[in-house]
Amino acid sequence: MDASIATLQSAFRQGAPEAVLILTAFVVFLGGAFRPGKLVWGFVCLLGFVGALLVVLWHPFDLSKCVPTVSVLWTDPLCHYTRIVAIVGGVVLLLASWDELPHTQAADYFACLLILTAGVGLVGAANELVTMFLALELISIPTYVMLYLPRTGRPAQEAAVKYFLLSIFSSALLLFGFSYLYGVTGTTNIAAIHEAFARREVTMLPGLVMAGSLFVVAGLGFRITAVPFHFYAPDVYQGTGNGPAALLAFIPKVAGFVAFIRLLGFTGPGPVLSAIEVGVEMPLLLWILAAITMTIGNVLAVWQDDVKRMLAYSGVAHSGYMLLGLAVNPYLADKANGGVPAILFYLIAYGAMTVGAFAVLQALSTDNRAVSRNDDLAGLAETHPGLAMALALFLFSMIGLPLTAGFAGKFQLFVGVLSTTAPAESQMFRWLALIAAVNAAIGAFYYLRLIGIMYLRTAIRPLPGRAGLTGVLALAACVGFTVWLGVYPAAVVKFTRNAGQAAYPVHHLAGRP
Amino acid sequence: MTPQMLILATLIVPLVGAAIAAVSRSTKAARGIALVAVLVNLALTAWLVLPVIPELIARAPVPTDAEPLSFSPLHTLKFDLLPFASEPGKPSPALQFYVGLDGLNVWLVLLTSFLMVPAVLVSWTAIEDRGAEFYAWLLALAMPMLGVFYAFDSILFYVFFELTLVPLYFMIGIWGGPMRRDAARKFFLFTLAGGVIALLGLIGITIAVRNRTGELTFAIPRLIELVQQHLRAGDPTTMAYWKQAQWLVFLALTAGFAVKVPLFPVHTWLPLAHVEAPTAGSVLLAGVLLKLGTYGFLRIAIPLCPDAALAVGAPLLCTLACIGIVYGALCAFAQQDVKKLVAYSSVSHMGFCVLGLFALNSAGINGGLLQMVNHGLSTGGLFLLVGMLYERYHTRMIPDYSGMAARLKVLSVFMVFICLSSVGMPGLNGFVGEMLILAGAWSVQAPGVSGAWLASVVCVGIFLGGWYLFTMLKRVFFGPLHEPHHDHHAPPVADLNARELCALVPIAIACIVLGLWPQPIIDSARRDVNTVVKICDGARDRAAVVKGE
Repeated sequence: MDASIATLQSAFRQGAPEAVLILTAFVVFLGGAFRPGKLVWGFVCLLGFVGALLVVLWHPFDLSKCVPTVSVLWTDPLCHYTRIVAIVGGVVLLLASWDELPHTQAADYFACLLILTAGVGLVGAANELVTMFLALELISIPTYVMLYLPRTGRPAQEAAVKYFLLSIFSSALLLFGFSYLYGVTGTTNIAAIHEAFARREVTMLPGLVMAGSLFVVAGLGFRITAVPFHFYAPDVYQGTGNGPAALLAFIPKVAGFVAFIRLLGFTGPGPVLSAIEVGVEMPLLLWILAAITMTIGNVLAVWQDDVKRMLAYSGVAHSGYMLLGLAVNPYLADKANGGVPAILFYLIAYGAMTVGAFAVLQALSTDNRAVSRNDDLAGLAETHPGLAMALALFLFSMIGLPLTAGFAGKFQLFVGVLSTTAPAESQMFRWLALIAAVNAAIGAFYYLRLIGIMYLRTAIRPLPGRAGLTGVLALAACVGFTVWLGVYPAAVVKFTRNAGQAAYPVHHLAGRP
Repeated sequence: MTPQMLILATLIVPLVGAAIAAVSRSTKAARGIALVAVLVNLALTAWLVLPVIPELIARAPVPTDAEPLSFSPLHTLKFDLLPFASEPGKPSPALQFYVGLDGLNVWLVLLTSFLMVPAVLVSWTAIEDRGAEFYAWLLALAMPMLGVFYAFDSILFYVFFELTLVPLYFMIGIWGGPMRRDAARKFFLFTLAGGVIALLGLIGITIAVRNRTGELTFAIPRLIELVQQHLRAGDPTTMAYWKQAQWLVFLALTAGFAVKVPLFPVHTWLPLAHVEAPTAGSVLLAGVLLKLGTYGFLRIAIPLCPDAALAVGAPLLCTLACIGIVYGALCAFAQQDVKKLVAYSSVSHMGFCVLGLFALNSAGINGGLLQMVNHGLSTGGLFLLVGMLYERYHTRMIPDYSGMAARLKVLSVFMVFICLSSVGMPGLNGFVGEMLILAGAWSVQAPGVSGAWLASVVCVGIFLGGWYLFTMLKRVFFGPLHEPHHDHHAPPVADLNARELCALVPIAIACIVLGLWPQPIIDSARRDVNTVVKICDGARDRAAVVKGE
């Protein structure tokens, strides 16, 4: 019992980085109400991020004395990964949206960004269905505020309402699915649920498990914009500013995939794979989800003449690629190459290139002229050579050309998909790999079209926009990550591989009360 | 400088040149920088290659049974790029930067650096607009082209293979003809689509080997060695596994390489890209980039999947190559545009290469390898000459010209010379390659392929090649003088100047030297060609055993 109590008491210490972020957010919220200002609160916000990052890096929590089936949080390498990605992503998003923010709303925006980052970190740490749900809501609710903040024009309001309603709906689905899982296993602790699955206590109720899993997939599918839960993305991205759009493209996907990995038990304190063993239909469901998500995403992106809508559909397609890793993971004999580590790598690559693309649009836009049509970018190579080169790099990375992050990511996912050994499954996943390859070629069509518009055409109406200092910093970070992950990915590969492996194998559960 | 450092230097010098050219202020400065960079690169390549050739010739002609049956590159350099997880205690496998030289790539490396010089010279006055950018992309193209040939890691090969797309996309798209955007897009997308499927094949063979041997490697020589070990062991259950794996991998690789060659049904991007590309782009596209496809077959597809290459590769690709030879030649004959004629002649001539390689015997593979170098020289030369003609009159339509030999004497001499080399006149380079391919096609031994038929198609192809090229010569350069309409106030059109001669003369000399003395190429590649042949013979024996049962 002592171990259990000690474990419960450790929850606050395990959540220290999030506490730093949320405390900073309180300071910014309160202070911003009395003294609006972009520079000062932006700086405080950055300090908060740095503080949280320092806590993450220099205050690792020792899990060896904790009981997984009791613990509310589980700060294993996956959590470590999620926190670092969230915080670094938060800093880049802050810099990217800086110029767009009006002076008076900056503090609120920054504070929301801090809370949302904390939410992502908590998703990575959550070892309880309830904590997981709260963490996901901690991401959603600040997002509503951020979408509503500008209140400019009808499209922005429509986007906010659309996102709000669909997000609430998906949360309800998720909660409903969680309730089934609780009903079947009698516990909300994720490790305990997996253990119950592993002990086959619930094999009598496969239908309920399947229904619960289905609702969970639907609820999380909304966050990762998996087809058919992707409808909101293009409208919302188009209607809102570049900063919030970049955020929506990146943050919910990180949270969604990490939550998937946790809930499916691919890594974490519980026995690996147990949920899958109960519902064999689950990998098939993910297979189908991956195939239709990337295909629909890519095919619909071909028809877009608005860059932001195109990026929304491209985000859908990239989610499809990452779903490859989820679908194939149960069948991998060697889980360190491909599968979950590949997803974690691709999330970073995807974040760098997508946030970077939005940052370019942001740099080109001015208060009176929002750049988002394809034709706005005509001849960009002549008027803004630096920005054109950056955007071309991100687009080449999305195509998956070598020496960019996108290639290193796709390569690892493909290795995973082709690595299955069982004959029946390898047949199935070879087809999935072929579908993915065809999709990569379709994707190249519309990314290349944009590159062609920038480089092979002359400017119609030259764009006035210039990147400010913060925009340049954000872009430099995205370019840096895209190139670094593409040219010499070894360090990041080690990091994601470490995060993606099941850190605490089954025998740790022996010490359970 | 060690050869390894020279290999790195030849990859880095063009990139450094590209970076300097990109930031230079004027076209003049950029082209000067480009010329210096390609000359330095050629010097470095010669310094690298020339001492290696005697080393290559000195090797034993056939690997002994004690040695692993695989390529054994010299002067290799490797370091890890993307490490993979391994079981504790075992060495960590990785995607490597693994480069080296052997008989198959040494001449293609030299050809690449060699053709960069005329590519710069021919752009000298043709490119005025955005010159700094142009020379930057041109130089940037050299790095991946050389890299593909150097690469001995399958994924590194793919990396360079795909990277060639970007510079050429911009070269065609920005400085091309009226339909440049379509041409650039089609070129990029066709090659990329094939390439991604080839990537699946490259990953697939690694995984197939890993599943059987427990060893994860992307190094081409090691992969071939492991596959051969298993195939030679000849356990029937494993054979079924390897047969299926080889089929899938071979088809995936073929998807990528056939587009690049290009073979018959997927060749449609080539004429468009060639016609629209600026002359330098056409020269490098025909001279080097098409070889990436045939080189891929020779380096990766055939040695890694010999049984599939025999069972499916020989009938399928030989048939497609034959169709390509005749179809390309007939299309070339029908063209009014000289550049399009040369482009279709490439389809026809690359068909010879593929046919030679998939004869899967010593003569055929030697011929295919020689023809790669020959085609690079002669078609590169043809595109240079067409570009020079176009620069003078701004038309490429055959009916616009007549009797140009009277006006442009030196140009005509070169044109006739290069055409002769292209159709394979004895004494010039094309002859040796074509004869070897013919010999290879005659003696082909593969199920579903008839040597006599292949040889007759080759003969018809050679004949048609002469027909369309000489018809073009007759209509453009001979007969009564009729110059295309051009600005009559301008000074009369002059013959080749010193710069253009500098671009053409080395190619002409190379054509003669290789025509009279092709032995260094054959000798230096002997061991590697014999390795491939031995691998193919093994596949033939296995097929015979299966048939016998």
